Amino acid sequence: MIGVIWAAVGLTVGVIGFVAVDAAVGAGVARAPIGPAVQQPWRRGALQFLQQRTTTERPDAQAWAVAPALLLGLAAVMVSVVPIAPETVLAPLSHGIVLFGAAAALVLIAVFLQGWAPNSPFPMIGGYRMFAQALSAMIPFALVLISTALPAESLGVDAIVADQEGLWNVVRQPLGLPIYLAAAVGVLFYGPLATPAGADLAGGVELEASGVQLLLWRIAHRGVVVGACAVGASVFLGGWHGPLLPGVAWVAIKTLALLAVLSTTRHLLPRVRTERYVVLAWVGLLPLALLDVFLTGWWLL
Amino acid sequence: MAHGIGVVLGAVAVITGWLVFRTDSMVRASFWLLASFVSVGGILVLLNARFLGFSVMLMMAGEMAVMAIFMVMLMMNPAGLNPMTMVHQHTVAKVSGVVAFLALAVVGVLVDFPDQPATQTSAEVTEQLGVEELGDSMLVFQTAGATLLATMIGSIAITSRRGRYGNAEEGSAPPSLVPLDADAPEETS
Repeated sequence: MIGVIWAAVGLTVGVIGFVAVDAAVGAGVARAPIGPAVQQPWRRGALQFLQQRTTTERPDAQAWAVAPALLLGLAAVMVSVVPIAPETVLAPLSHGIVLFGAAAALVLIAVFLQGWAPNSPFPMIGGYRMFAQALSAMIPFALVLISTALPAESLGVDAIVADQEGLWNVVRQPLGLPIYLAAAVGVLFYGPLATPAGADLAGGVELEASGVQLLLWRIAHRGVVVGACAVGASVFLGGWHGPLLPGVAWVAIKTLALLAVLSTTRHLLPRVRTERYVVLAWVGLLPLALLDVFLTGWWLL
Repeated sequence: MAHGIGVVLGAVAVITGWLVFRTDSMVRASFWLLASFVSVGGILVLLNARFLGFSVMLMMAGEMAVMAIFMVMLMMNPAGLNPMTMVHQHTVAKVSGVVAFLALAVVGVLVDFPDQPATQTSAEVTEQLGVEELGDSMLVFQTAGATLLATMIGSIAITSRRGRYGNAEEGSAPPSLVPLDADAPEETS
């Protein structure tokens, strides 16, 4: 029970930090004053909280209610496998990285449900876009995670972090982190790959959502991005390793750094068409991820 | 505690499996099946086969998505939104269902299951399951797995829209709205 509370606290702090970083990066890119930009998400959130919920003709009400809850639950699972100090992790699993992979794979189910439930064409198209891009990005995403587990000889995230004493995986496996981030934006429909909820679909999976449902959905979306960046910071950037500051501070700093990178791609890069990304994932990311696995194996031998 | 969770997961697996056939939509049927598989994955985790349990959840998320896409593609049902029945061939289905239930019930009642808490570590359980299922054939199956992966990448490379000779749709024209025969006299005149 205490563990659940800590996961909720970690997720809340992470999402608040992410919203602040994203607003600051956006203001920096636009050369706008930072104060109003940081307040803006809170104003929008308060508006959505007070807004009346609208509905569509014959929606799948159960699926619509489940979708944001599922996404938020997946975010909590992702955060719970991140160690914040030696031997200090909410879910001390010997297979934490596989559980994280399962949570990341189920994100596309939540997004498809959100798109399918309103019984409306544009959210539906958003759901199918998500299927295409997430299924394509999933294999390179999993492969680079597996290659971080090879030198640690364990699928537990705490063991992978402990193994990076002295030399982080971002140096040992230079292909890993770039592939991880390029696949993560597809799996989590963020930044240049936010097309399932894109403006060209009038909001896509978010089009018919309103009120608290939309607020919860957006919080959960930021939550899964925070979870993926926290795991990325753990398996590639050494997690709690770092001088002077306590481990939890280093985890927070590294996670926010990765979130700032993803936020920069959101503000600077154009949206990528789904079919182009699918080709990139299968023809570019997948062979590179396999090369990463082979190079890691060769380095270990 | 673990026993109670196992009973709940088993009940969820059975009920969601039943709902697969009671629902009226291919997409919902896929996701009820996914819920059933995730519950079975949870039972595997409780049996200390964590790698298998999490892998079931990981694989089934993608596979049920692929299954939903293929069903929607192959059926004349735009985007899978129209209601349709999920059962067919009633007699065969009833007979095979009863036979399968009786066979599993006989196994469940007659087999002497060990009644002890899982004391081995998750890695040991996974190793024992692998030895039990594949034994000496492990290397053969590993090779087959790598071959299948290579085949998959090869077939994707071949069918990719962006081929060796440029994009697949380049050089082809969309089908004309006018029959080709009707076009021909106009050009000559």
